[in-house]
Amino acid sequence: MSPHEIEIQIIAILVASSCALPGTFLLLRKMAMMTDAISHSILLGIVVAFFLIKDIASPLLILGAALSGVLTVFLVELLNKKRFVSKDASIGLVFPLLFSIGIILIGLFAWNIHLDIHAVLLGELAFAPFDRVYISGTDIGPKSMYVMGSILLLNIIFISLFYKELKITTFDKNLAAAFRFFPNMLNIALMTIVSITCVGAFDSVGSILVIALMIVPPCCAFMLTKSLSKMLFLSVLIGSVSSVAGFWVANLLNANIAGSMAVVSGVIFGVIFLMAPNNGLIAIKIKKIKQKWEFAENLLLVHLINHEGSAEYEDESKIEHLYKHMLWTPDFASRVISTSKKKGNIEIVDKCLYLTDEGRSIATASF
Amino acid sequence: MDNVNETDTSDLALEITDLTVAYDNKPVLWDIDLNVPKGILLAIAGPNGAGKTTLIKAVQGLVSSAAGRVLVYGETYEKNRKLIGYVPQRGSVDWDFPTSVIDVVKMGSYGSLGWIKRPGTKEHNHARDCLEKVGMLEYEKRQISELSGGQQQRVFLARALIQDASVYLMDEPFQGVDATTEKAIISILKELRSRGKTVIAVHHDLQTIKEYFDWVTLLNVRLIDSGPVDRVFTTENLNKTYGGKINFIRDITPGQAVGS
Repeated sequence: MSPHEIEIQIIAILVASSCALPGTFLLLRKMAMMTDAISHSILLGIVVAFFLIKDIASPLLILGAALSGVLTVFLVELLNKKRFVSKDASIGLVFPLLFSIGIILIGLFAWNIHLDIHAVLLGELAFAPFDRVYISGTDIGPKSMYVMGSILLLNIIFISLFYKELKITTFDKNLAAAFRFFPNMLNIALMTIVSITCVGAFDSVGSILVIALMIVPPCCAFMLTKSLSKMLFLSVLIGSVSSVAGFWVANLLNANIAGSMAVVSGVIFGVIFLMAPNNGLIAIKIKKIKQKWEFAENLLLVHLINHEGSAEYEDESKIEHLYKHMLWTPDFASRVISTSKKKGNIEIVDKCLYLTDEGRSIATASF
Repeated sequence: MDNVNETDTSDLALEITDLTVAYDNKPVLWDIDLNVPKGILLAIAGPNGAGKTTLIKAVQGLVSSAAGRVLVYGETYEKNRKLIGYVPQRGSVDWDFPTSVIDVVKMGSYGSLGWIKRPGTKEHNHARDCLEKVGMLEYEKRQISELSGGQQQRVFLARALIQDASVYLMDEPFQGVDATTEKAIISILKELRSRGKTVIAVHHDLQTIKEYFDWVTLLNVRLIDSGPVDRVFTTENLNKTYGGKINFIRDITPGQAVGS
């Protein structure tokens, strides 16, 4: 691995971790698509701030971006609150407008600078190591590493400081408001954090794929755990793994790094969706099949206990009559009988079924 | 509406004067005057859209009021906030949220902890005590998504108990729970009352008001009447509240309390 490759991977991990932290709360607040809106409309903030300051490296650009991110959330919620349109439609109305104004401004006035449209959309992580920081002539590493490191630190501080407040405002806004934790103010703070993170991620992965880093890892984590702190931790882990794996896939295919990162995280989600131990598609299917058999076995025991001691018992409990009485196919019935026998719940005497004591107690419990 | 005279103001848990709440200039609560004495179980009843939930929220300043004043134990809500325990509607939260039963109960302690400080051992033990009171201690580590409706309501109740409040505001605590849970909840409410606490609950089931509550407030945007069940819960008042659309109350003479 060359030093550049290592640097790119470090930056990718920093970006993915910074995104996964606020992304977890966005997902739980049912605001996943707001990420898309913010990550696009911050472009307008960056462009306007650039026109005012005329310096592409100024940290004030981040302020401009954060403001336009908050403006986006404000506009979306305003449209939504006035009941003109639903929330998804208001997102669809607001951000393309702000984003396109940004795009037009770049096209009109700034076509010859770093802010070119291709980089805006997809970012270019591969170029990140070329923009370096020097302290009295000594190279101390790529600039993005320091920018993303600071953003990650900011996110960690924000979330660990206000963990309890974020948790209660996300879970129960009413109680949080009654406790005077100011849910709206915290929401603005969280959206500011999201906007700042988007600005940082913007350079590396562009505006389109930020949502993949903010939302996919938390979605994966949500399938795997039901604890908020573990969900945050797993989101960061999954985000980091997919960013490093994405880097190597991109290397192999000579493709865009951000795109590969998003694809890998999508694949990881697919695998978890299928294989998650409790909520995965396969686990659910297995559980259902198991339930079906257990239910059939119970049904048989209850059928037998219902007729126990009656004159027609022999008739009801004959194996060949079972197909008719229970409306089961012979295959199904014989499988139910053999498992029940194996479990020691029934005995077979002269092709008639009899309950054992265990079988009888299970049948009684089923009522 | 002469309930003001029924009690001395120093004995009031809640004192609401001229409270008006409007959404887009359409009043949902219209000039409410309501005094709630300490140590009673009060039901708030009224048809859909009568403003019952809004009243509970307006007391805590969760919706802004166009006019009026609310006093809790003689002071503003901001001053006496910690005297209020709040149980929002069960359906108002996402039960798929990744958290455990004990964690939800501990959220009730966040209000007294204030900003940044996290719950510790003391809150944990207190939360377990409260879960035990509602008969849910064995579920303390369960995921909240695995709970039934009745269990969810008990957890919410435990979360209110941990607040150790003087006045409990409950939004439909019996909504969608089975008979066993309903009995369990009402016995906890009665226990609260015996310790001098006041419980104000939005309640839909008119059949059980007489059995469960001491006082009733009938609301339909305006306050129809409020006071002891025996005096207020009459056919005439119910007709005024529900616009004569209830037909289950039979065999009572006008002016007589329902169920007596």
